[in-house]
Amino acid sequence: MLSGLLSDGTATVRFTWWDPPREGVERGVVLRAVGAEVREYRGRAEVTFSWKTRVGPASPAELPRVDGEEIPFRTIQELKPAEEGFRLEVRVVRIAPKTVTVGTERRVMHEGLLADRTGAIALSAWSDFGLVSGEAIRIAGGYVRAFRGRPQLVLDERSSVVRIEGTDLPDPAQLLRAPPRSIADVEDDGGGEAVAVEGIVVGLLPPSGLVYRCPTCHRSVRSGICRVHGQVEGQADLRARIVLDDGTGALTVNASRADTERLWGVTLEQAHERLRNQPDPSLLEEQMLESLLGRRLRVRGQGTKDDFGVTLTPESIEPAEIDLDAAAEELLARLGGGG
Amino acid sequence: MSLREPAWRVTARELESSLEEEKGEGERPATYLLSPFAARMNRVLMAGNLSPAESIGREESQAFWRARLSDPTGAVTVTAGSFQPRAMAQLRSASVPRPAIVVGKVHLFRGRDGVGYVSVRAEAVRSVGEAEERAALADIVRQTLDRLDLLERVEKEGELSPESLRNEGIPPAWFRAAKESRVRYPNVDRGAFRRELRHAVRRVAGESGPSRSTMPPAPNVTVTRAPPPRAPPPAPSAAERAEESLFLDQLDDIADVSADGYADLKEVLSRVSSHGLVGERAETVLNRLEEEGVIEEPIVGKLRRA
Repeated sequence: MLSGLLSDGTATVRFTWWDPPREGVERGVVLRAVGAEVREYRGRAEVTFSWKTRVGPASPAELPRVDGEEIPFRTIQELKPAEEGFRLEVRVVRIAPKTVTVGTERRVMHEGLLADRTGAIALSAWSDFGLVSGEAIRIAGGYVRAFRGRPQLVLDERSSVVRIEGTDLPDPAQLLRAPPRSIADVEDDGGGEAVAVEGIVVGLLPPSGLVYRCPTCHRSVRSGICRVHGQVEGQADLRARIVLDDGTGALTVNASRADTERLWGVTLEQAHERLRNQPDPSLLEEQMLESLLGRRLRVRGQGTKDDFGVTLTPESIEPAEIDLDAAAEELLARLGGGG
Repeated sequence: MSLREPAWRVTARELESSLEEEKGEGERPATYLLSPFAARMNRVLMAGNLSPAESIGREESQAFWRARLSDPTGAVTVTAGSFQPRAMAQLRSASVPRPAIVVGKVHLFRGRDGVGYVSVRAEAVRSVGEAEERAALADIVRQTLDRLDLLERVEKEGELSPESLRNEGIPPAWFRAAKESRVRYPNVDRGAFRRELRHAVRRVAGESGPSRSTMPPAPNVTVTRAPPPRAPPPAPSAAERAEESLFLDQLDDIADVSADGYADLKEVLSRVSSHGLVGERAETVLNRLEEEGVIEEPIVGKLRRA
């Protein structure tokens, strides 16, 4: 049997074909099916080609004519996973090519971030629309899927992108400069793109410190064994899983090697050196905690939520300073007269 | 789903004034300590001067250490045991008072006389420089003022919705805490508390606070709990103590041999009456033991040790 996705330009549905042609079906081919069965699965329509269905080749001219002007506009905030058949006007905040392996095939895709006045959404484009950061675009023919619990907009060769003026769309720099939000708010939203928070380091989660990673997939290696690639020669890496708390909530920040080295002030090489003098690796974590605990950080990145709360994959981690004199003055004013 | 409990930013004075507890929901409910100033705390973050710790563990294998954290508004006890090895090591390491940040879980201990004692079971302790201590204190005072402002609004406006507050950046959990605080502590002198906070702000500004080296000033924040605290019952006499232990001995004997682990109430009463503890006096002992939380009656007519 064969299964996949069918689209006539108005919507995309999953299909199952019990008795497909022996030679298979090419991606992009146009078919005419008479007597197909439609059922509902998890609130979505699914098409089945059974023995009763007559399926044959057809010409693209037979596809229903879609009037672009009839497709409704949506805002990013309104988009929910599995949504399609909408138009969107957004600003490209950032975009970068990425090579991925799909089955045996290596493909270049483009990942990025899009924003409008209501929010931001991750983009995953399977064909090259020549997008450039900062430009404003109108998108049709995309669909939304959930990726790590967050909505992500997917574009493929059937999607269309038109450059627009976009005067009412936010400036990308403005989005990346947005003031920090309360962690309780981020928890309520289940994370978010380009989230900024500010809090105090109240702990580290294991594994923090010196870790060993699989040279192929960068997963952490335990007892010399990678979960996917078996016995491997682990490569040393530094990382800190920081618990950041702002008094309204707490989240985990997964700091990369570069961020960890900068915050801790100890490089991977120096950590190795320490290990030679004090062969207990848990001491390293202790020393890292000692240097990080109580520090005030401002972190910006992508937040995803699971059963343990929100995890932030940081794009930037900066120490946040408080101007003590200004703070004292402000607090005194708020306390008011008397006393 | 149980998210990590946030560390509420509180001053020592607020923590000292907190005497009301609330159980959370879910499979393993957390306990929350409600303050008169709209904090619903499981975990707290505090900053102040941490005294050298003393060992209060009964055995060497069960180490337990205790220190005092004083900020310009008051002082609280900070403890750490072998389940908090890092925090314990930090508590033990100092021989002189030093500025520190403490993150930990709050504990309310209620003695036999009904008086509550709040302490913090430290999870993380770090000695900090003066500037860091002042910055943490600024954060603590700011959030405390945010909560006091919220309390005023809850009082005046009445018709507040969690959604509209959320849009202003006030978490729903804070709103909930504010409403509960109002119910549990209907008569609180917030003005006095605000005056205490001024000491903390002076410390933020760099002046050494009044409680740097001395004990905090006499408490002038009065807190009335609802329901108002009962007058502490007179200490039981030796005769009453003897009756209690007779009652408990009989209860234990019966519970030991019963199939379900409970002691049948009628059987206990009949046994103690044969030892001369009869009628109303036996009832009084039963009630007192139940009230003090020594025994409980989870099923009608069935007793066990609490």
